[in-house]
Amino acid sequence: MKKLLNFSLKRFIVYASVVLAISIPVYYFFLNKLWQYELAEHDVILTDKAVREDSFLIIGTVTLLTVIFFFLLMGGLLLLNRSISRRLWQPFYDSLSRIKDFDLNKQNTVSFGETNIVEFAELNKHLHKLISGSVAAYKQQKEFADNASHELQTPLAIVQSKLDLLLQSQSLTDEQYNIIEDAGRALTRVGRINKNLLLLARIDNSQYMDTERVDLSTLLDNTISAFREFAATKQIIIKSDIAKDIEISSNRGLLDILVNNLLNNAIRHSAPDSMIEVTLSGKTLVFSNAGDEPLQYEQLFKRFSSASSQTPGTGLGLALVKQIADRYNWQVNYTFADNHHIFSLTL
Amino acid sequence: MFSMPYAILVQNKTKIPCYIRLMKILIIEDEADLAQSIAAYLADENYICEFAVNYSEALQKIETYRYDCILLDLMIPGGSGWSILKELRAQQEQNGIIIISARNSIDDKVTGLQTGADDYLAKPFHLPELAARIYSVIRRKQFATTNIIEQNEIKIDLLAKQVTIHEQEVVLTKKEFSLLLYFVSNKNKVISKSAIAEQLSGDIADMFDNYDFIYTHIKNLKRKLLDAGYGNYLKTIYGTGYKWVV
Repeated sequence: MKKLLNFSLKRFIVYASVVLAISIPVYYFFLNKLWQYELAEHDVILTDKAVREDSFLIIGTVTLLTVIFFFLLMGGLLLLNRSISRRLWQPFYDSLSRIKDFDLNKQNTVSFGETNIVEFAELNKHLHKLISGSVAAYKQQKEFADNASHELQTPLAIVQSKLDLLLQSQSLTDEQYNIIEDAGRALTRVGRINKNLLLLARIDNSQYMDTERVDLSTLLDNTISAFREFAATKQIIIKSDIAKDIEISSNRGLLDILVNNLLNNAIRHSAPDSMIEVTLSGKTLVFSNAGDEPLQYEQLFKRFSSASSQTPGTGLGLALVKQIADRYNWQVNYTFADNHHIFSLTL
Repeated sequence: MFSMPYAILVQNKTKIPCYIRLMKILIIEDEADLAQSIAAYLADENYICEFAVNYSEALQKIETYRYDCILLDLMIPGGSGWSILKELRAQQEQNGIIIISARNSIDDKVTGLQTGADDYLAKPFHLPELAARIYSVIRRKQFATTNIIEQNEIKIDLLAKQVTIHEQEVVLTKKEFSLLLYFVSNKNKVISKSAIAEQLSGDIADMFDNYDFIYTHIKNLKRKLLDAGYGNYLKTIYGTGYKWVV
């Protein structure tokens, strides 16, 4: 890759040196002719030796002068080119640095400086159009996710209420009841997916911004004791080793969701009769549970990557974890060691 | 000048003892399907439901009539649910207000409760859950000093969270107590396992499809009540559903 300035300068230099190189024999030819003419005019006859010496002298002088002028010309060109280019291309470099700083996620539009050069003005105009188009599309997409899941809540509520009403019918058979239960279960899952999508969209839209000092140790203790009961139905034991009084600043609701999702994940994907370990020490929070083979790291934190009929989750749990961690610049990591899945969060 | 349901209420008041007088509920909700489901579910209890589908209708009704409980959707056509909430609170009536909203955001919930709502229920919800909330909001508002529910042999003191059967105290865990209240406020209704799971553990149950944990609580509750000499009112129905038959 070449810089724009060097690109034009190199051609100038090549052209100038070619022209000057050609000029040396031309000068010589004409000077020689002039010299011969003057000599003939004044009837001066030179010896062959003197003629040769004169020729060398002329060639030498012309070459020397040409080289001196070449360097003068080059030096001037270089300086002129540099200063002109710098002024000429300034708006371009301006625009470039502004585009470099642009981040779609931050939602700020780019404004370009005024320029009196037609081409750059046009370039800026179209860049601006392009960027504001992208920003609008991005915003619209985020709002769409928010609105869509939002609008779904009411129809979901209607279906839910109709199912609850249907259950009250006097003459239901067991079979009919089970159909309603199954429908209800699927509906619960839809509701859950919808809720998580809404949450993701809200975090994307920079809601839940208020932060406070949260006592992570206490929060973890509470979460673990709330989950114990669910774990117990699968004979899973939760062992915890939580350092005391560890505080972090974040949004309490989001932190709750993060911890809930990681713990829920561990319980859901553990075999019955196994153990889950939760460790908090200093700035690291680790969830580990037994497993047979490593999970695919690239797929783990993507939305809906894990959703399947076998795993009844929403497929959004870990995506949410990642999103929340990203907001606070925490590192989420997954490793597989000694037949254990280990999710760690570095605060 | 009385609307029909109010007239019925007045008539009924003379016929039946006042402690089971009909409770009047206003449903401010523009989705007719949802409002009707709620009304249908609540109809067999001592509830009479009226509807308001937009802002002006809601405002007119709350200015004209008195309700025991108001279900308020925050997003209604023609105006903001928030200003209805403020209006209601300015009236200083002893009515309960439950927000039912599609906006399940923590902020809305906090603001709602601070502005004077008594409870906040995010859509979608189970009707038994709504019934239980209405039941307890009305009790809290109207029987603030002596809040005791009696149903056959059982006495439930809502303030002290105490349960007595045949004058003998039955010690229940927090979850068993809330389960008992849930059944009592949904008597003679079929309640699905998933509705109970949601009630028992709120947001956490949300994450589980395995509802086995509810059996333990129901089994324990049933045993404690039976041991204390309470009738067997909690029936298993259709294999996995429950019904509190009184």
